[in-house]
Amino acid sequence: MTLKECYTALEGDYEEVITRLRSEKMVQKFVLKFLNDKSHELLVTSMETKNYEEAFRAAHTIKGVCQNLSFTRLYESSHILTENLRTGYGDETDGLVQRVEKDYQQTIAAIKELQAENPS
Amino acid sequence: MSFINGKKSPRQTILIADDSEMNRSILTDMLGDEYEIMEAENGVEAVSILQKYGNAISLLLLDIVMPEMDGFGVLNVMNKHRWIEDIPVIVISAETASTHVERAYELGVTEFISRPFDALILHRRVVNTILLYAKQKKLIDLVTDQIYEKEQQSGLMVDILSHIVEFRNGESGQHVLHIRTLTELLLKHLGHIDSKYQFPRSEISLICTASALHDIGKIAIPGEVLNKPGRLTDEEFEIMKKHTLIGAEMLKALPMHQEEPLVKKAYEICRWHHERYDGRGYPDGLKGEEIPVSAQVVALADVYDALTSERVYKKAFTHDVAIQMILEGKCGQFNPMLMECLREIESVLQEELQGDSDVRTSMRQMQNVAEELLHHEELSASERTLQLLEHERMKYRFYADMSEEIQFEYTVAPSMVTLSAYGARKLGLDEILMDPHNNEKVQEMMGTGTLRAISNELRGTTPEHPQVKYDHEVCINGEKRWMRTIGRAMWSADEPPRYMGAIGKTTDIHDERTRIDALVQMASHDSMTGLFNHNYAKERIRERLQNRPNGKFALAIFDLDHFKSANDNYGHMFGDKVLIHMAERLRRSIRGGDIAARVGGDEFLIFLEYKEEAETAIQRIFTSLEGTFEDFQISVSMGVVRTDMVGIDYDELFHAADQALYAVKRSGRGKYRFYDDSMYGMLSVISPIDGSEEKPADQTGERGML
Repeated sequence: MTLKECYTALEGDYEEVITRLRSEKMVQKFVLKFLNDKSHELLVTSMETKNYEEAFRAAHTIKGVCQNLSFTRLYESSHILTENLRTGYGDETDGLVQRVEKDYQQTIAAIKELQAENPS
Repeated sequence: MSFINGKKSPRQTILIADDSEMNRSILTDMLGDEYEIMEAENGVEAVSILQKYGNAISLLLLDIVMPEMDGFGVLNVMNKHRWIEDIPVIVISAETASTHVERAYELGVTEFISRPFDALILHRRVVNTILLYAKQKKLIDLVTDQIYEKEQQSGLMVDILSHIVEFRNGESGQHVLHIRTLTELLLKHLGHIDSKYQFPRSEISLICTASALHDIGKIAIPGEVLNKPGRLTDEEFEIMKKHTLIGAEMLKALPMHQEEPLVKKAYEICRWHHERYDGRGYPDGLKGEEIPVSAQVVALADVYDALTSERVYKKAFTHDVAIQMILEGKCGQFNPMLMECLREIESVLQEELQGDSDVRTSMRQMQNVAEELLHHEELSASERTLQLLEHERMKYRFYADMSEEIQFEYTVAPSMVTLSAYGARKLGLDEILMDPHNNEKVQEMMGTGTLRAISNELRGTTPEHPQVKYDHEVCINGEKRWMRTIGRAMWSADEPPRYMGAIGKTTDIHDERTRIDALVQMASHDSMTGLFNHNYAKERIRERLQNRPNGKFALAIFDLDHFKSANDNYGHMFGDKVLIHMAERLRRSIRGGDIAARVGGDEFLIFLEYKEEAETAIQRIFTSLEGTFEDFQISVSMGVVRTDMVGIDYDELFHAADQALYAVKRSGRGKYRFYDDSMYGMLSVISPIDGSEEKPADQTGERGML
């Protein structure tokens, strides 16, 4: 799988990220690094412990990273969650978390495939 | 740190503050080739790095949403300490709400870049910002250099001018230099003699520079008069005298610079350096203090140098002769103070004049430059202010360190405590503590309530009376010690004033307090049993009765039956042990609010408040006092009285309980009884009314009181 195909699988914007960050090598490096990013884990645990302020920051961070890497799909869902959590926990929060979770898994799956073919 | 020519100077350092490791490493990747990178994963870390490295950080890349302290918090701290003036900040944030952007710019950030950012643009902005700040710094240096140059040039112009005069006068090139040196020496010493003549360094420097121009008017004096060997005729002398007025007029006629202090001083000197203190000089015949000090001093210097130099019309006198002539008034009258001054520095004069090399001159010029720089504050104000601030901070830190006090500063927004270096060491805490109210270590140390209590006290003050004192315990290395915190609340100047935070110090008063506690303990307690002594108990009971006159209280007095036999059979040591044991039983059998005391000997007292029936409580205590100690059978006799029986006067209560106790003794011991009217007028156990014959046999008197 190429980086471009990976972006298609995780529904990101390959053209955009290459224009912004200029180097395919660098983008690939950080895409792979996304697997080790702890903010998703932080989001899950802080939702469990009902620490919604922390959850807000975690969602915010995911959103920021996705923005940097042009992971459009995950960016959108994490962006909506961030805005929802900004005012604290609400009726829709759990649903939005699930949506982020689904998109996150899709993203991770695609990156893992990329990783399998590009062992570092 | 050098800011110029990126390539050759040491690499500049960028601090990246972002809670996401991903974001930090993307930025590091983009900038790491050209710059040193430091990373902080929250605002507190960023602040502490900034504090540690200061201006060595060339740029801060700052995220807004971060744990511990957010980006705005960091900016607030940077503003507070004025770091923002020297360290540029670029905010990179996914927050794009215009309020965020506005707030960031208001707090002094240079750029606000939103995510997702374009690598090239970000890189360009980083480079530009660093260059811009470097240029600004360079510009400040440049302006500083120009002032230096300007000063040097004006010094040069003065030198050229005065040398032209000297050349025409046929004087040695040293004259101007000598006058300057003499003027300086005299002026400086004059300040020591009389504070009236104490001038700031800048003023002295100015007069010295201006002194070079004293004879400038001689340019207009015909050469044949000027350089005539031998005595001048009266007519010629009148012409010669004019050089003072001519010099003054030349300066007055300058089309510009009339307001320059240098020009003003030079005017005084040119015009009046031939005036004499007794009014017999020229051109205006000024007298005494009418003559500006600058002119008086230059006049004396001029005379001395003229005497000791060779001129067309005379030979050089020696130093001693010259001084002698001046002091004798051969060259006109000078200010007596100035004469005294001359006498006092006479011995160093010669030496100074001989050593008047170029080096000294340039040193003096350097001083002038320094003075001049101080006059141009606006150009380097921030730099100098920063230096002063740094100086003050150094001083403060030094004193704070020396004083062995824990000094602190608290700000509400961001919620932060800054400790003095000593304080941080002593407490084992960081110098900067964020959100102290929720800091676990602080809570552990102070206990949950203390910090809140101090904070409430401070918030309860007013701008007029902002100070509070609070004693509390602090746990340091597992040991609890008493501390005294004296704080001053900081109120804003707004109306109504807002609580901004506080400053203060915490001192260890443990030893002092322990001593006082020990004294209080000694004064209020019975040393053998550790119970209250009678006097102290009486005071406490009276207090209690007065505060709640309608409360239901009971007072019981008891003593040990057959205590004398215990003493007799087992010895007094054993007797003491029994008393200590009884005190312990007593302590265990009463409740928190009750008062127990040793009245004396083997008599004890209990004061308690009851709810329904006093008897229930008395019964319980009475039972718990009985038992055995080693082989000794403990039995007590107890007399009790309630406040509803005899009122709340302590002496009445005590007396009634005493009589009840007597009644018990009379009827066979080992019991308790409440006072009743039948006992009225009975004898007392504790204070027998008439003689000891009525006192029960087992009374031990006062033994064992101490």
